[in-house]
Amino acid sequence: MRKLIVWTCLAIGLATGALAQDKPRVVAVNYPLHYFAERILGDAVEVAFPVPEGVDPSFWRPSISDISDIQSADLILLNGAGFAAWIDRVSLPRSKIVNTSAGFKDSYIATETITHSHGDGGEHSHEGTATYTWLDPDLAALQAESIATAAVARGLVAEADIAPRLAALRAELEALDAEATAAVADLQDTILIATHPRYQYFARAYGVTIRSLEWEAGAAPTADQLATLEALATETGARVLIWESQPPAEALEATAALGLRNVVFDPLANTVPGTDLLRAYSDSLTALSDVPRN
Amino acid sequence: MIRSLGLAALVAAAPMGAAAHQLVVFASVDCESVVVEAKFSNGRVAQQGDVRVLDGENTLQSELTLEEDGTARVPLDSVDHSGGLVIEVDTGGHDNYWILTPEDIARKCGS
Repeated sequence: MRKLIVWTCLAIGLATGALAQDKPRVVAVNYPLHYFAERILGDAVEVAFPVPEGVDPSFWRPSISDISDIQSADLILLNGAGFAAWIDRVSLPRSKIVNTSAGFKDSYIATETITHSHGDGGEHSHEGTATYTWLDPDLAALQAESIATAAVARGLVAEADIAPRLAALRAELEALDAEATAAVADLQDTILIATHPRYQYFARAYGVTIRSLEWEAGAAPTADQLATLEALATETGARVLIWESQPPAEALEATAALGLRNVVFDPLANTVPGTDLLRAYSDSLTALSDVPRN
Repeated sequence: MIRSLGLAALVAAAPMGAAAHQLVVFASVDCESVVVEAKFSNGRVAQQGDVRVLDGENTLQSELTLEEDGTARVPLDSVDHSGGLVIEVDTGGHDNYWILTPEDIARKCGS
């Protein structure tokens, strides 16, 4: 009898292990896509996000083994809009790639970043595309739908299984959109300043004007940076400064001394401990809803 | 449904008067060697630059310079490529890299 139990347990254990190994594997290049994929695809699929906590996925440099793992995934979820520089530095199997923003390529926002000169090239700039598409909940919903469509098309999940989950997520994103609309309802005549250019899609979605600096995330500003901020605040009449992550206390004191209200609005490219994408976004909206208006 | 963009306050778009480029690095394997190609995104070949070849443990395996045509060739038998290779190119003002996994190398060699 005991032998039978042991064999039964062993068989169940092996079967469970085999099932885990047999699950299709999906890799996402940022936290929003990881969150959407987990919500939509459920337990039938293993969803991985290989970027360590605290690392900006836009500038993450993968190891060779990271790329080997990604190459072997069943689906590779790209954000598109130029997000994640590493994807242009490796070979990825084309048949497994899904550009989740391909459906709204025409809505990408062009940016211009650094102008510099070196060598014999003369002065030139590096232009690009604003990448934080998911900060517009409408675009986020389209990205979520793209994940669902790709997973069904490749036979990883059944459409009937994921349809209710996609509908639920879409409803929550619509609620977030309504919350954002209410939070910035009378901010259209108010100029905000951000420490980093992350909020282009949010600004466009809600008709908000956000002027951006290029401060390092989480670092205290230098005296020169504070002087630039002060000049910009004077020029624009801005009274609000948006941080992408919690800065040191002395940074908050220095900017508050310039008459600015500090607001932390994490753009959520990576995970935030203790919360999730929609709750963290909602918390940022709550903070924005309370800022002074012009 | 995507919200009407006509009402949008486009604050990020800026004029792009200045020339724009970034370094693009690509490496392929022909079974005997790794062929490195470096050019700028405006199409101009990177005529000068340092090439560093690192293994899977990030250990430097080889250093060489770009030829005038923007390429460099690394014989496979001169490096330990069992754990894959990282190819870094630095032109002085721009730098970039390309990752070759062991699978990339094996696939190109038909093994």
